Amino acid sequence: MAAVKSRSASGALPLPPLAWACAAFGGGVLLHLERVPPWASLACAALIAWRLRAAQRGLWLPGALIRTLLALAMAVVVLARFHTLNGLTAGTTLLLLMAALKLLETRTTRDELVLIGAGFCLLLAACLDREELARTPLYALEAWLCCAALAAVATPTLGVRAALGLAGRTLALAAPLALLLFLFFPRLPGSFWAIPRGDTALTGLSDTMSPGKIAQLVADYEPAFRVQFDGPRPSGEALYWRGPVLHEFDGETWRRAEGSYKLRARVANTGAEVRYRVALEPTRRHYWFALDLPAQSPSPRVALTYDYQLIASEPVTEPVSYEALSYPSTRTLDPLSTAGRREDTHLPAGTNPRTRQLAKELYARAGGDAAYVSAVLGYLREGGFAYSLEPEPLGHDSIDELLFRTRTGFCGHYASAYATLMRAAGIPAHVVTGYLGGEWNPIGGFLIVRQSDAHAWAEVWLEGRGWVRVDPTAVIAPERLRRGILDLLPGAFSASERLLHGSAWLSGLLQRWEAVNAWWSDHVVRFDYGSQLDLLSRLGVRSPDARHLGWAFTAALLLWLAFMAWQAGRLPRPRPPDMLARAYLLLCRRLARIAPPRAPYQGPLEYAETVAAHRPDLRAPVAALCERYAQLRYGPAGASRAQAAAFARAVRRLHLPRRAPPRAA
Amino acid sequence: MAVWVRARQGEDALPVRLERRRLYILPTRGGVAFGALVFAMLIAGLNYANSLALFLTFLLAAFALVAMQLCHRNLLGLTVHSLAAPAVFAQRPASVMVSLENPQALPRPQLGAALDTLTESRIDLTAHERRTLVLALPPLARGLYRIGRLRLAGTHPFGLFRAWTWLHHPLELIVYPAPAGSLPMPGASGRQPGPHPRGGAGVDEWLGLRPFRDGDSPRQVDWKAYAREAPLLVKEYQPAGSDLRLFDFSQLPMKDTEARLAQLARWIVDAEAQGERYGLMLPGEQIAPDRGPEHRHRCLARLAQFGGTPVPWPR
Repeated sequence: MAAVKSRSASGALPLPPLAWACAAFGGGVLLHLERVPPWASLACAALIAWRLRAAQRGLWLPGALIRTLLALAMAVVVLARFHTLNGLTAGTTLLLLMAALKLLETRTTRDELVLIGAGFCLLLAACLDREELARTPLYALEAWLCCAALAAVATPTLGVRAALGLAGRTLALAAPLALLLFLFFPRLPGSFWAIPRGDTALTGLSDTMSPGKIAQLVADYEPAFRVQFDGPRPSGEALYWRGPVLHEFDGETWRRAEGSYKLRARVANTGAEVRYRVALEPTRRHYWFALDLPAQSPSPRVALTYDYQLIASEPVTEPVSYEALSYPSTRTLDPLSTAGRREDTHLPAGTNPRTRQLAKELYARAGGDAAYVSAVLGYLREGGFAYSLEPEPLGHDSIDELLFRTRTGFCGHYASAYATLMRAAGIPAHVVTGYLGGEWNPIGGFLIVRQSDAHAWAEVWLEGRGWVRVDPTAVIAPERLRRGILDLLPGAFSASERLLHGSAWLSGLLQRWEAVNAWWSDHVVRFDYGSQLDLLSRLGVRSPDARHLGWAFTAALLLWLAFMAWQAGRLPRPRPPDMLARAYLLLCRRLARIAPPRAPYQGPLEYAETVAAHRPDLRAPVAALCERYAQLRYGPAGASRAQAAAFARAVRRLHLPRRAPPRAA
Repeated sequence: MAVWVRARQGEDALPVRLERRRLYILPTRGGVAFGALVFAMLIAGLNYANSLALFLTFLLAAFALVAMQLCHRNLLGLTVHSLAAPAVFAQRPASVMVSLENPQALPRPQLGAALDTLTESRIDLTAHERRTLVLALPPLARGLYRIGRLRLAGTHPFGLFRAWTWLHHPLELIVYPAPAGSLPMPGASGRQPGPHPRGGAGVDEWLGLRPFRDGDSPRQVDWKAYAREAPLLVKEYQPAGSDLRLFDFSQLPMKDTEARLAQLARWIVDAEAQGERYGLMLPGEQIAPDRGPEHRHRCLARLAQFGGTPVPWPR
């Protein structure tokens, strides 16, 4: 009875364990709101509401047959939607739905634990899915909630605040060990099983390009990768980040070519080399990016192809970082192979007839390859072409329509048109997609390249010089090279993003945030076996290996256990005195100045007697106060806040003359 | 395990303070499942080389270790002052009283006590609190039960681990036969085999001396004996005219032993309630007439053990 009273008095009524289990599971569902289809989240919410109402009002709950049918139906729906149950999204959706169904048959403590376990699994899936710094507080909250639910299920009398407090304190004690384990638990290079998570590509450049395709990408403000240069930063006009190279053109769409048998032409470096480190965000595609032109492959798992693309053997599903070396200006040493020339001069027969005609005329006027390259650029510059992110859709003969009808386009359009014009004149040419420029973050000292920096340009073969990069967009919208897409085409972004970049203060803040994110990404997300060895060598271990890591791990564990043993020996501090007790202590201190101090065994009434014996003149007021305290403290009603405050005032107002007044005769 | 523990710890002398060497701890089924979950998380985290997933794994593993420590601490230092098993009638809920003290300023919720595999009874102890945990037992058959071992356990705070201790303290639970039967109580006829009545009718009968009990009138105290440094004794008299009843097992008409015992129990309870003096005759033994709660207990306990041997529990 007393326990119930004290709980209701503190306003923390215990939630039923079922509600806690629902909260832990519901928190997990919320973490996946963006990833799973909306109907799955809605189904979970509905099932949770149903179960809670049923517990409250005694609503009908379905029997085993209906539950089985529902489970089968949901599995079928997920299978129909994702065509697999193995991928991360499909698996998460299935877990979500099955746990929600489990809710309907939750009756025992064991069932509630299963739900909390589902909450933990959803949290793990969320961690696997997204590792952004901004989401970690959500993950921490969910972990806290699940642990509090464990406490509440184990001890149903626990109040909400008590459960949260208990879980919070326990997690706080666990955090140091978690950190030590994180730093020193030996990580494994490589993985146990293949990746079932590449459901769809997240974002980024693909291996085909239709005019207009890149325009969609440009509206995506997410970072593609970050770059830290070892030496001085190259100027903005040199920052061409080379991605997929597209050779095959069907008149409408550019595609990558199979070219594994082709030999990579050697190049000579004609300028300064650039060394830098790239931190690539996951795209679930095979492309790695490097400054035009990469000199070598940064990793054994990545091939440098004959046309200088970096193609990884596995799609990028986790953030990766790599050291790269590039030569910004080069000269090709080897001649172009016959097969290569055939590939890069091929145009599908019968397409874009007017463009071919134009090429013939321009070439005749120019008289040579090099002159023709410049002449086409001149044509594009003078021809009244406009740069737009939302050009009109083009038909089958896309280049004809662009050059002679719409005359508006984007980098993809112009690169495509330029390469077509070159091929029509028999000059080998292809389209290169990638990124241009990037935003320098002075706080973090890195360049951040976003999806919105996506770009396309052309490369043409000039005898004697080899492959030459030509960026037709540069002549149509020269500002594009020096400034971001945002300044060029304000309409491409939402109002909030424009605002963010318009204000110096806000963009400073954004840069700071990105610098913090970069630190997070470099030191936490990309923390691996190599980083562990680095850490050990910084701690003073010479040539560290897995054995040292094991020692460090053991030492850390022992250290923490010693800390825990010490912690266990400590007792909780006594509660600080409340207002009433503080007032009483003040009274005792004041009385101790004029009478003997209160002995530890004396209660208020007894002490009043002691004081009265010492100072008979103060008998009445002191006794009254002491009795009032006893009444408030030990009386059946207990002291309200107002009563305690009034008592404290009375104590402060009590007049205690130093000396007893002379006895009146 | 239990045998090993018994040999290791020996008999306990109350009060017992729960020290480290007598506390045992193992994961519960939920704890094992939690461990499996954390292991699966570790594999997934290592496989995907995902730092956040690994940190979560390590956090949960550390959380379980802290939970283990807390669970152990929840019982550590607790003092068991006494164990008692009040006698009950058969078919009525029995109980064992465990007097527990929390000597520290640490609240200790969800302390449970259990016999064997029976359901736990739980209490919460606040700081410095001393309370009695009532371990509810199911209704039992008549007999004397020797409780050799009591388990004190707790899964607080997270239910991942169970810490427990065994208390080996001899404890006897007497279960009286359930009173039943409707035969009339034997009257004065039962008087002859009893002790000789002393004194004449109309005068209170002098019965003898017995030790002083709370509530006895000072007038009845044998002050002369007390002055001779004898213990405080009370002169007992039988009020004139009150009955002296003797309940004889062999004179009951029923054949069934249990029915006879039930009838005897009925008579004892009724006679005690009416403030009468009664004695009990069983084959091979008898209890002299007396009254009072102690006498009642002596009689009923004799009935409880009639013809049977003490039942060890756990078996």
